[in-house]
Amino acid sequence: MRFDTVIIGGGLAGMICGIRLVEAGMSCAIVSQGQSAIHFSSGSFDLLGKMPDGSPVTDPAAAIAKLAETQPGHPYALIGSEACIKHAEEAPAILQAAGIPVTGDCHKNHFRITPMGKAVPTWLTIKGYLTADDSETLPFKKVCIINVEGFLDFYPEFIAEEFGRHGVTCRFGLITLPDLERIRENPSEMRSANIARVFDHDKNIEALAAGIREYGKECDALILPAIMGLNRNDSLEILKSKIDKPIYLLPTLPPSIPGIKAQQALQHRFRSLGGEYFLGDTVLAAEMDEGRVKQIFTANHGNIPFRADNFVLATGSFFSRGLIATPDSVREPVFGLDTAYVADRREWYSLRFFDRHNYQSFGVRTDKSLHAIKNGNAIENLYCAGAGLAGFNPVHDGCGAGVSILSALHVADSILKGKRS
Amino acid sequence: MNIQQNTVSENNFEQCIKCTVCTVYCPVAAVNPDYPGPKQAGPDGERLRLKQPDFYDNALKYCLNCKRCEVACPSNVRIGDIIQAARIKYGPKNKSVRNYILANTDLVGSLASPFAPIVNTAVSLKPVRYMMDKVMAIDHRRIFPKYSHGTFTSWYRKHAAAEQAAYDRQVSYFHGCYVNYNNPQLGKDLIRVMNAAGYGVRLLDKEKCCGVALISNGLYGQALKQARTNMESIRRAVKENGTDIIATSSTCTFTIRDEYPHLLDIDNNDVRDNIELATRYIYRLIKSEGVQLKFKKNAEPLKVAYHTPCHMEKMGWAYYSIELLRMIPGVEVTVLDSQCCGIAGTYGFKKENYATSQAIGEPLFRQIEESGADIVATDCETCKWQIEMSTSKPCEHPLSILASRLE
Amino acid sequence: MNNTYDVIIIGGGATGAGIARDCSLRGIKALLLERSDISTGATGRNHGLLHSGARYAVTDHESAEECIKENMILRKIAAHCVEETDGLFISLPEDDLVYQSLFVESCRKAGIRADIIDPAEARLIEPAVNPALTGAVRVPDGAVDPFRLTSSNIIDAKAHGAEIRTYVEVTELIREQDRIIGVKAYDYRMRCEQTFYAQIVINAGGIWGHGIAAKVGITINMLPAKGALLIFGHRVNNHVLNRCRKPADADILVPGDTISLIGTTSSKVPFDQIDNMIVTPEEVDLLLREGEKLSPRLAYTRILRAYAGVRPLVASDDDPSGRTVSRGIVLLDHAKRDGMEGFITITGGKLMTYRLMAEWATDLACTKLGIDAKCQTATTPLPGSTESKKETDRKTRNRPIAQRRSMIARHGDMATLIDSRGSDKSSLVCECEEVSTGEVEYALENLAVTNLVDLRRRTRVGMGTCQGELCACRAAGIMGKKSPVCAKKAKADLASFLNERWKGMQPIAWGDTLRESEYTTWVYEGVCGLSDEIEKTSAQ
Repeated sequence: MRFDTVIIGGGLAGMICGIRLVEAGMSCAIVSQGQSAIHFSSGSFDLLGKMPDGSPVTDPAAAIAKLAETQPGHPYALIGSEACIKHAEEAPAILQAAGIPVTGDCHKNHFRITPMGKAVPTWLTIKGYLTADDSETLPFKKVCIINVEGFLDFYPEFIAEEFGRHGVTCRFGLITLPDLERIRENPSEMRSANIARVFDHDKNIEALAAGIREYGKECDALILPAIMGLNRNDSLEILKSKIDKPIYLLPTLPPSIPGIKAQQALQHRFRSLGGEYFLGDTVLAAEMDEGRVKQIFTANHGNIPFRADNFVLATGSFFSRGLIATPDSVREPVFGLDTAYVADRREWYSLRFFDRHNYQSFGVRTDKSLHAIKNGNAIENLYCAGAGLAGFNPVHDGCGAGVSILSALHVADSILKGKRS
Repeated sequence: MNIQQNTVSENNFEQCIKCTVCTVYCPVAAVNPDYPGPKQAGPDGERLRLKQPDFYDNALKYCLNCKRCEVACPSNVRIGDIIQAARIKYGPKNKSVRNYILANTDLVGSLASPFAPIVNTAVSLKPVRYMMDKVMAIDHRRIFPKYSHGTFTSWYRKHAAAEQAAYDRQVSYFHGCYVNYNNPQLGKDLIRVMNAAGYGVRLLDKEKCCGVALISNGLYGQALKQARTNMESIRRAVKENGTDIIATSSTCTFTIRDEYPHLLDIDNNDVRDNIELATRYIYRLIKSEGVQLKFKKNAEPLKVAYHTPCHMEKMGWAYYSIELLRMIPGVEVTVLDSQCCGIAGTYGFKKENYATSQAIGEPLFRQIEESGADIVATDCETCKWQIEMSTSKPCEHPLSILASRLE
Repeated sequence: MNNTYDVIIIGGGATGAGIARDCSLRGIKALLLERSDISTGATGRNHGLLHSGARYAVTDHESAEECIKENMILRKIAAHCVEETDGLFISLPEDDLVYQSLFVESCRKAGIRADIIDPAEARLIEPAVNPALTGAVRVPDGAVDPFRLTSSNIIDAKAHGAEIRTYVEVTELIREQDRIIGVKAYDYRMRCEQTFYAQIVINAGGIWGHGIAAKVGITINMLPAKGALLIFGHRVNNHVLNRCRKPADADILVPGDTISLIGTTSSKVPFDQIDNMIVTPEEVDLLLREGEKLSPRLAYTRILRAYAGVRPLVASDDDPSGRTVSRGIVLLDHAKRDGMEGFITITGGKLMTYRLMAEWATDLACTKLGIDAKCQTATTPLPGSTESKKETDRKTRNRPIAQRRSMIARHGDMATLIDSRGSDKSSLVCECEEVSTGEVEYALENLAVTNLVDLRRRTRVGMGTCQGELCACRAAGIMGKKSPVCAKKAKADLASFLNERWKGMQPIAWGDTLRESEYTTWVYEGVCGLSDEIEKTSAQ
């Protein structure tokens, strides 16, 4: 099989890179070992929520410029703040075109509201989800938080407790329907996706509207968990048209509907532009030729290799096995690239779960153009993008999605530039 | 330090980190609350069964072995295999006549084929179907595939064998029960395409049903016996005759390549790479051996919608079939979303599964109806039955479409 | 004021719980005070091995005899806490087979069944065993769940009138001349000082008993010995595996419920560190290196967590150097030993002999109180073990099978008290360990659960492969349902629970365990934004 570019990894970085390339008319294949971490999305994409010293960020674009000076190993620093901002400004349109409508601005963080009711700074949020301009002010004074009876992955009481701190009065509502009762018979499968399948049916959206209308009467707004719109995009609009109060969605514990939908939307966009998406396959070996990657071999395709001019490694971090941790090393399994980590395992972790952990910023080394490095030498047709990069703490600094999207666009642009010249 | 360097456990289920993505893509859990879902039935359940076998839940029988959980799993857990292996190890041994009949496609085919016209008429009659429903719990709404009058193998021996042997280059064909008893035409189409590519087609010395239906119906002893016979023939073909093995059925291919080692514990490593799907084989001939197929000029335009069977999705090989279709002049290919059609071999024939089966397939049927395609193409015979029964479109194997357009 | 008792027991480990039960069965009014939750000390931090005594047969005949007797008693009275797996003492090529005959002979002398079996047979009955073994002896070892055992003693003690107070820490022993007449304690839940009086105070504080006695100037010559263990992700072996040689480090592999445990290391630690046990990379290495010799499978089995307990070793009174350490039971009558009336210390021993320790301490208390009542704990079954599993199984039909089996394994016949019928009760909180909403609610209402960590000890929520990733929030959600105050507490609790789980994971966080941790971080720190909870909790 021959393509202009083969991307290994079908997560946020791989998909965004692939979409950019096929949009530009290149032939591109993505090989992904199973579904990606997009499934666990909070419904938002963050760019930079905190500086590494813990100080909050209000203007991520400006903070990135500062970060580029103080943290030279950070992917944002490698990409360069100007390029970062350019890519960040392009991102909403790319998501929008894929059918993921978002709001937000890279020059000003807003706040997403978590399934536990916390307000967390973020960059882009999928439309329909509750956001706030600052961490204290919510767009209502009295709200009804509705849950589906028997759904254990959404916590109205926790949300109410947080909202209470900001002077918001909460009441609770519970809904159930015969179709929901039926899935409840299964002790483990009352999950957001299965609930959403129930609400893919018109009659059940109608019933939901009828069920929550009463709750809206004494409140300024209604809050629902993200349990609708799995296979259709109009569920929330239909619901809104039937209720005269604002309705906001909140994400649930993963796999979340916004995550599943975002994954499927990106996949669909990539394929519809001619991209080839190989799911459930593992890259086993790469063949090098004069310092370049010539072809890769996968578990499914055996003796038929993937050949390409350029390869992109977007296999993520530990979760997706883009990085493998043994008791005394961290390695990159596909190409055996150079990785940045501390040798003494004691230094990998902090004793407290919510602290910064060094392991979170381990990853593959690259040069400034995000070329992969092996044995100290850059590989000119192999780029790295996404969570597998070294030098940043995605969760603690709130920059996981940003690094994935920006590095993906940066890599795609480098490939396109090379193609043109 | 040299401990725990290779942390990939022999107990593959331990790689599960409970991300629950598999449950999103399980076609059964989405429609049947009696099924515990792939995570519970697979890695979670396995851990408990290792503690004590009596944690085995008979509801594992609702798994239709589509392996879509495995394709979705980011941790490479062989969820479907774990579930099927648990059924083999802990499940009740099959005693039902119905399962015996459904599973023995080979035996039933060889009995039915000589009397095809009578059998076909009989099983299409309402009273007969109601009786089968009542007596054997085979759902009366299910339409049976028609038996062919005369088998593929008998045709081959009489009319093709000599001519095929004349080719310099040879390939061995695992035709499967469907081609043999129901659709010899597909076998003839394959021969036509292979001949056009410059290859003669021979049959295996001895071919038994691949056993997929035996495995899913709990007849493991028989499955094992047939698998051994097949492997013997395949080895002889590869090692003594120097031919690769190709098959037109994605499920037969998958079963021989992957289910044999994973579920029946048959080591096929020495010849696994020599067993492949016909479309992949032809793709490879065209792409790297310089083979060129000559197509009819000015053929009618044809809109084809390709349906990816579950086992095709698992093998990752739909690409080859789709690429072949795309090479045919005048054919416009759209690829349907990869989702289960619901039949899963004999699963959908059973009365207790009929509703589940049709509910699973419903989104696919809808997409097919809305596709505007003239014809659906797919590499799996049971998908074909399901699609033809449940939609208004005909369904053919990609090679039949290809053969019909050869010059 | 109703704060006067016959006996106050300090310490809610197996021994303390056993004493509370023994006292209450003999009609003694007892109060048990525990500074934390029950079974949080050495009780909950060991192998969970139902010793046959074989391990001690060669070196300590007395302990061996005690073990086999208690072993047989526990099988009867605590059937639901015990798994009758049997154990193998294996010899490896580097071990001297001569030791085997000495071992078998010593076992038989102590009354322990010990059958030499062929290595081939050993491989057959225990496929996980090191195939290179040169000999094997089969003994009646087993597994015992210390959490269930302690909890069941507590339940029975309460049912017979004992009062159990957890999260109440004794701060002072009240002394009247040469007599202890009660204790002052701090109640962490009520946030206040409390005073309790009794004729007798029994110190069952394990290693912490050293500090309790020190409050009145009494020195007990204790040596804190740290023992580290590793928990493997699933049940690797179905027989307890031991090395047939002189007892050494990391030479016992015990299957317990859904997992297997290797341990232990042994190192002396200073008293100021006993509340701060962290397993070091060196200990992990040692455990794996030695463990692989028992079962090579450990080399590639996922490790769930590491933990360490502190054994209360006691040096004999006539050897102040501390060199002669006994693993036997030490009962100190401080009236005789130190001239302090009304104060008893029971220590040493092990989980296996908790009942006997309780019997000895209660006997002494009875003598002092002038009560003439016989000990019944050796024959009266504990709650949970009063009927056969089969019978309980019959009564709990119509529930999903894995859930039913798990529930019965954890609660024995008390499983019938769990309302898990109907979809609102049977839905799973913990999917790894099959803990239903009904079981969580039962534990919250009946088993003195104050936080998620306690809930884990009662139900195994969060003890499975995911270590709380999927279930911690669900359990917290149920706990937080009652009121806004509950919600606030449950959320903070969730954060500390994750912190507690991480403590045990970080020593072995590589491979899949690190993947799991990274994912857990995404969920709770990323999606949920919970990180400020822990800051808030520690600020308070």
